[in-house]
Amino acid sequence: MADLIFIALAFLAISGAIAMIVYANPMYSALGILITMLSVAGMFALLNATFLFLVQIIVYAGAIMTLILFILMFLNIKEKDLPKEPNKYKFMIIGAFIMIPLNILVLKAVSKLPEKDLTISNTEFGNIKPLGMELYNNWIIPFELISILLLIALIGSVVLAKKRKSKLNDKGEQL
Amino acid sequence: MISLTSYAFVSMMLFSIGVIGVIARRNIFVIYMSIELMLNGVNLFLVTFARYHFNMDAQIITVMVISIAAAEAAIFLSVIILLYRSRKSLDTDIFTTLTQGEKS
Repeated sequence: MADLIFIALAFLAISGAIAMIVYANPMYSALGILITMLSVAGMFALLNATFLFLVQIIVYAGAIMTLILFILMFLNIKEKDLPKEPNKYKFMIIGAFIMIPLNILVLKAVSKLPEKDLTISNTEFGNIKPLGMELYNNWIIPFELISILLLIALIGSVVLAKKRKSKLNDKGEQL
Repeated sequence: MISLTSYAFVSMMLFSIGVIGVIARRNIFVIYMSIELMLNGVNLFLVTFARYHFNMDAQIITVMVISIAAAEAAIFLSVIILLYRSRKSLDTDIFTTLTQGEKS
């Protein structure tokens, strides 16, 4: 049963990613990557990462993608504003040839590792409580630094997006 | 039987498609989404190895990657709004010059 779910999720993840880079309209691309993110969340659930399953759905699919869709609708992009991409497929083939050696290397290295059971276990592994204990006992300094980073990002985005008055008048002279 | 290699295959595919998107596309939104896709592929690899070694450190690194991606999204979108206001375009080739340009 888990095998079938894995195959379906893998198919959905890869086809969503391909849909994202093929479609010209960014709205369709956003919907494609949304499918990919939800499938990756399902794979986290198959890998016993309960908390990350929730975080992936809430933060990635819920917050980040909603923000992107909101900005796409806010900017009101017309068909003529989209960049012309005549050589899109040619560059995709070139990129695929660039990535093939890295793929072969990583897959060869991983297939040499000893097999272990990766099915869902009945232990507490990956639940919120053990993850929180680990986070607050051994990773407390990175955790606090992340909170400072989020605060800086909040202030920075507000400062960047606010309307500012130009220091030059229409003729380019200093006011 | 789901093996380690099949998870590795899926995450490497996601990462490679992200790199191909960054190389091939010129729409700035699609490039940003490709970067998110690469982060997702690496996250999947980290969580796979967390399950493989039965060790939760990799899952905590994944939590940190997700929070940094959230911060990045906020900054990126405010920069995009500024760029689109001044250039009225989403083409990365137009963003290569940093001067103000001609006023429309």
